[in-house]
Amino acid sequence: MTQPPNAPKAVYRPLSPHLQVWRFHITMLTSILHRATGLALVVGAVLVAAWLVAIGLTASGCFPQAYTVFLSFAASPFGLFIWFGLSLAGFIHLTGGIRHLIWDMGLGFELKSANALSWWGLILGIALTVGFWAVLLATGKVVL
Amino acid sequence: MVDSYLRERSSKDWKKSEKHGAAEWLAERWTSIALIVLTGWSLWSAYGLMGQGYDAALAFLRVPLNAGLMALTFVITVWHTYMGLNANVLDYFPNSRLIKLVSFIFCLLLLIAALGGLFLAFKV
Repeated sequence: MTQPPNAPKAVYRPLSPHLQVWRFHITMLTSILHRATGLALVVGAVLVAAWLVAIGLTASGCFPQAYTVFLSFAASPFGLFIWFGLSLAGFIHLTGGIRHLIWDMGLGFELKSANALSWWGLILGIALTVGFWAVLLATGKVVL
Repeated sequence: MVDSYLRERSSKDWKKSEKHGAAEWLAERWTSIALIVLTGWSLWSAYGLMGQGYDAALAFLRVPLNAGLMALTFVITVWHTYMGLNANVLDYFPNSRLIKLVSFIFCLLLLIAALGGLFLAFKV
């Protein structure tokens, strides 16, 4: 068949599921969080790129104060708050990504195991963040 | 009915990934797996450099292996970011070429900035 019998004139593209029409469930929350943390991590990529640019500009002598300027943000209380948020987003995106890789292998699709994977990913993501910052504070890497 | 519906629609109307077959889906997966390792290495390195000052950071980036891994981390991060941003653009602004272009230019600038900074630190 070369021509469909009744070719659609306007293409109907459904939008992503709207947040308002679903009853809350954990796989929905972790799905939203996976997208939200992924978007938040774009800020992290920008900041790490800024760190590289700051070192490059300082080393090349183009703008010798660049690294000091970067640190005045990165080591400030507001900067630490941002780093904390980024680490939380990073660890939740990490466990969320691993959950998706498990699902991609065709495993864990039962309602019960899908819910369990979502909960454990969320809990592990938060635990890794808390652990990471506990180590940073305990070793004096970060002083509040 | 479903089969003919799919055949009629998929060739011209569907989202881009439908036309590319599995390539984009596979790229999303392998960049994820690579980033588990590379961001793990980055985080470990950041932990070591924290509070050590500018000279330690510069010395770290001047080790060829570190500079190479950093560059690789950024190339794969930006690729992964580009696919992720595009998934959002396709979901919320399916017909906007402008937003797609903006996200592409943003990713390109991010990569140029990171690799440029790294090059200056490594070479100059």
